[in-house]
Amino acid sequence: MDCEIPTSLSDNRLGDFSNDRPGGAAFRVDGVDFTYDGALPMFRSLTLSARPGEFVALLGPSGCGKTTLLNLLSGFLPPDSGRITIDGETVTPEMPALGHVFQSPQLFPWLDVLDNVRFGLRMAGRLPDAEQRDKAMAVLSLVGLEAAAGKFPHQLSGGMQQRVALARALVLEPRLLLMDEPFAALDAITRATLNEELLRLCGRLGQTVLFITHDVEEAVFLADRVVLLGIAPAGIHSELAIDLPRPRHLRETRRLERFTTLTDTLLERISAIVAAA
Amino acid sequence: MRTRLYGWAAFPSLLLVWSAAAWNLPPYVLPQPWAVAAEAVRWLDSGQLAAHVGASLLREAGGFAVAVLGALALGLAGALSPGFRAFSAPLTGLFMAIPPIAWAPLSMIFFGLGYVAITMVIVVAALFPMAVTVQEGFLAIRNGNLRAARVLGARRWQLIRHVYLPASLPFLTAALRIGFSQAWRALVAAEMLGASQGIGWMVAMGGQIGNATQVLLGVAIIGMTAWITEGLVFRRIERRYRHWHLA
Ligand SMILES: Nc1ncnc2c1ncn2[C@@H]1O[C@H](COP(=O)(O)OP(=O)(O)OP(=O)(O)O)[C@@H](O)[C@H]1O
Ligand SMILES: [Mg+2]
Repeated sequence: MDCEIPTSLSDNRLGDFSNDRPGGAAFRVDGVDFTYDGALPMFRSLTLSARPGEFVALLGPSGCGKTTLLNLLSGFLPPDSGRITIDGETVTPEMPALGHVFQSPQLFPWLDVLDNVRFGLRMAGRLPDAEQRDKAMAVLSLVGLEAAAGKFPHQLSGGMQQRVALARALVLEPRLLLMDEPFAALDAITRATLNEELLRLCGRLGQTVLFITHDVEEAVFLADRVVLLGIAPAGIHSELAIDLPRPRHLRETRRLERFTTLTDTLLERISAIVAAA
Repeated sequence: MRTRLYGWAAFPSLLLVWSAAAWNLPPYVLPQPWAVAAEAVRWLDSGQLAAHVGASLLREAGGFAVAVLGALALGLAGALSPGFRAFSAPLTGLFMAIPPIAWAPLSMIFFGLGYVAITMVIVVAALFPMAVTVQEGFLAIRNGNLRAARVLGARRWQLIRHVYLPASLPFLTAALRIGFSQAWRALVAAEMLGASQGIGWMVAMGGQIGNATQVLLGVAIIGMTAWITEGLVFRRIERRYRHWHLA
């Protein structure tokens, strides 16, 4: 996903936080079977992969196993059979390549916002404290929350918490970013802004993203490819390449005729999935 | 503000009712509050009060400390091992169903009259409710926070230090509060049965010699000690963590 980098305010802030381009990691889900204890099969020989730097959006009806797939990809759930690799290595949650933004923010209630964002840097222990703080501040300003640095999670709105969770993952510059409906709790304006920020950031850092959403327009706006998940254990229903030009801008991109065609196609397919159930 | 006033009115009201009741009864049955206060001054002056309260607190401290260590071990083991949890649950339930004071005679046969016998009763009283609180607390540490920490690179010891430990502070203080008050109740009861000093002894002895003033003084001290430690120490620490579950 190559896009030219516009010189905007937020892009300058981004410059404080990262100067190198860590690039993206390839992931591969290879013939994976998965069943929760005592439940019906969730996935049967599921296969899905992404090349480095690709932005994949995952769409599907509620309960079809999107979060489950993400937890498999993070190594939180072991597949019953098959293999899940990141850059050829079997995945574990502790892999530095991995970033995960959960469906609920999962902030640490005993740490303030800055320390929440700094958590990963502290665990790694490679930077001196002052640099950790600077870096965390830079990412916080990226998500528009530098003013909230000293607050505690319970003092923030749900949307702000989710942005802190995003910052907490981004600060480690993961090469594969897994995002589970990260913007679902946000109002339309903040959400649109963050969508643009996310694209700019990915253009800059070049990471691979797997992004779960219920919002067809969001999926089309963000992704290089949309994967539709059917109702379990159907697995992947279909895929759709999003051939919209980059860089994408909120209003301009959504006005394109191609944008409407793509969203309509996806909406029809989702209706078909739900109707077949 | 109005509601606050009711709270402030509670203790004066109790004293008024006590005093009114004492007007209509002979003083050897129910002495007036100020008679008890005068008794307190006498005991204080003679140094006896300090000796008895000190003896009780020493037993409380010893028994409570042992119970805390035991409860941490049991609670942690129960949280980590489902097998141990299944094994210990019926036993814990049984021990919690038996009033701790019922063990006092056995403890005195075993250890003779003295510090150890009474302290053992305290340990039994405080250990199991604390162990259950600790175990449930560890189990309730949210899986989500653990996953978030792992994917941010935290290794096993870092998880213990940076997630388990801070996340357990609220229920650890709750366990301390519960354990301390259970221990205190059992202590007083045990001292009434078999001790030659302590606040419980003071109450029991007052009853035997028909000194209602001494009994009431003892009861007041027992109540105030428990009330002060619970309200001023433990609840205050707990309040700090109240908002944590919201995030
Ligand atoms: N830990 C679990 N144990 C057993 N079943 C589970 C567990 N987690 C989820 N499930 C079940 O698996 C199915 C898929 O859940 P999952 O959370 O992956 O769905 P989802 O696609 O993310 O849904 P949503 O869009 O609502 O977030 C659901 O039927 C759910 O009830
Ligand atoms: Mg989900």
